[in-house]
Amino acid sequence: MSEAGAGAPRPRVAVVGCGQIADAHVHEARRAGADVVAVCDRSAVMAEQAAARLEVPEWFEDLDAMLSRARPDVVHVTTPPASHLPVARAALAGGAHVYVEKPLTVDLAEAGALEDAARRAGRLACAGHNLAFDPVVLRLLRLVAEGAIGDVVHVDAIQGHDLAGPFGRIAMSDPDHWVHRLPGGIAHNNLSHPLSIVLPLLGDELPSVRATGLRLRRERFGDARDHFHDEIRVLLAGERATASVHFSCHARPVQLALAVYGTRANVAVSLDARTMRAVRGSSMPGPFQKVDWARNDAVEAGRELWRRAGDLARARLHYFEGMRELFARFYAAAAGAKAPPVPFEEALRTAAVLDEVFHQCRAERAPAGTAAQGGAP
Amino acid sequence: MIAVTGATGFLGQEIVRSALRRGLAPVRCLVRPGTTPARLRAAGLDSPGVEVVPCRLEDAARVASALAGVEIVYHAAAAKAGSPAALVASTVVASEALYRAAVEAQVGRLVLVSSFATIEVAPLRRGAMVDERAPLEPHPERRDAYAFAKHRQEVLAWRFSEERGLPLAVVRPGIVFGPGQEILGTRIGLRLFGLFLHLGGRNAVPLTWVENCADAVVLAGTAPGALGEAVHVVDDELPTSAELLRRHRREVAPLRVVPLPYPLLRTLSRLNAWYSARTDGHLPAVFTPYKVDSLWRAQRYSNARAKALLGWSPRVPMREALDRTFAALARGGSASPRPVPAPAHAGGAGAAARAEASA
Repeated sequence: MSEAGAGAPRPRVAVVGCGQIADAHVHEARRAGADVVAVCDRSAVMAEQAAARLEVPEWFEDLDAMLSRARPDVVHVTTPPASHLPVARAALAGGAHVYVEKPLTVDLAEAGALEDAARRAGRLACAGHNLAFDPVVLRLLRLVAEGAIGDVVHVDAIQGHDLAGPFGRIAMSDPDHWVHRLPGGIAHNNLSHPLSIVLPLLGDELPSVRATGLRLRRERFGDARDHFHDEIRVLLAGERATASVHFSCHARPVQLALAVYGTRANVAVSLDARTMRAVRGSSMPGPFQKVDWARNDAVEAGRELWRRAGDLARARLHYFEGMRELFARFYAAAAGAKAPPVPFEEALRTAAVLDEVFHQCRAERAPAGTAAQGGAP
Repeated sequence: MIAVTGATGFLGQEIVRSALRRGLAPVRCLVRPGTTPARLRAAGLDSPGVEVVPCRLEDAARVASALAGVEIVYHAAAAKAGSPAALVASTVVASEALYRAAVEAQVGRLVLVSSFATIEVAPLRRGAMVDERAPLEPHPERRDAYAFAKHRQEVLAWRFSEERGLPLAVVRPGIVFGPGQEILGTRIGLRLFGLFLHLGGRNAVPLTWVENCADAVVLAGTAPGALGEAVHVVDDELPTSAELLRRHRREVAPLRVVPLPYPLLRTLSRLNAWYSARTDGHLPAVFTPYKVDSLWRAQRYSNARAKALLGWSPRVPMREALDRTFAALARGGSASPRPVPAPAHAGGAGAAARAEASA
């Protein structure tokens, strides 16, 4: 059921950019209650194949033609990030709301321009922070809101990436792949996810940033594939809480995981297992504490095992469940029924932190004497 | 001058060897920019008579330049694995640019290495002969991602042939096998949870040894009768799925095999499709009745047209090909690369090609 509710007209959605992630957008948009009326790609081959495979009624290779003929209520922008701003601007000018895949834009300046374009058009723009709406993250946020873990004092997050995985393999086989033109390379395409979860836990202010980048892999191409950082460490300091966010191409298993430390308790969250375990500790004396602590951990893990098994039996473990949830909330906001699920200030904060992270990482590679000293962006 | 795309690939490097053996030098190999010298050496592309041109097929200007003076283009580049969109992007979008450049460069012929996956076999009855009379697949979206991309690649080639005058010959190999390749492919079965689900039963497996297949591809560039035609390439004396599995267990590694007979597989596929539809894709529809009919219904395979049109016959007999394959698998790796033959000079490329064509 769509967030827009029963009886509300189904939003008309078009997807622009028919690469890998477009499949998920079409599928989850339908699950969120939309009619996918068109797909568009500047390559006719790509647009046609998406329409044929995904049973979309119309395909276009011209964006303006798509906007005028298909007249979508919402346009999903799933092109490479360098074209997010121009495509979103055109869609907004054509009267559509826009959902823009992560990273929202190449940098903060472009994100600001997108905000201006949305305001002028009187339409909404939503950053594709879909993992912030994963069921387990929503559980975490409920726990925080209820005060169960007290005030958040620190968050650890790790975002893994497999350079031999479905995306990494393509990027590593092509020195001209768009991801190599992003300021932060492959990390730039991934760090939005943990940041979109972590930053709201640090409060409303922009935290200060310390970042360092490493390249652990062997250089073997002599081109852009040798240049990007495959390990990045970020320390964020808000007014009352800190966070460390790690991007790693080498840590195994590849995962997105968080540990949230509060004044009352801490919780460990795995987005891959979709589990959340409170670490309860123990008040038992001496050596008994160690056994009791381990027992509490095991009980928490056992509960999560049963929950996931139940979800499996009830067919509730869709991979892109967070995307479906975010789409549904955004469609409801576009229809005027609810507030935007990702306030644009949050998207701007994420873009600002990304800018600073990659600025500092690049500065480390600059000649001696020119390196930036870090600090708040 | 001939050009080969995908020349560092499993079949592509054998096409280069076969072409040199037939005196079709020089061979210009279009390889992806950034391909390492080690990869080129491993593919035997550091040999006399071979020119390596780093070139993205999507780069129209570079491809046009690479095709200057080329008489025959052998197009073997294609992605094997990835998401459906990624396969189309790397296989079909790249092919489109190559077809366009080939038309503009007025090449004498473009030979597309297509696939059995592009043809419609689901409606064929059990035991039917699969040959070139089978139409192109009308529902490639119901097959797997590889089949879809290869279908679009071939359809686009025929469109360029009809609308733009691209001189086209299409070769559709069955399953290309050789040392270093896993032989227990999808038509034989799937590895799942530590088990091997045997799906192929006693079906004939449409194998073609990589060297034999490369010979057929090269001949399709020179045989006069191949222009405007599609030919299927499988070897003689095709083994059955059960024979291959038995030999693998005996000579390579023991497997815990669970046989899934065709009727049971079809029932499970209906269940899989029903569950996937009912749960909004909670589990993907990996098995559907259409896929099962396309891949695991027992059929026979003809290579008569390839023999007649190309003057081709398998150079390496099936028995020897299987011996070499299983010996390499038992060693746990690939056979050592064979040297690239020196280019034949007597009579030049044209004479050699004509001799092959009339053989």
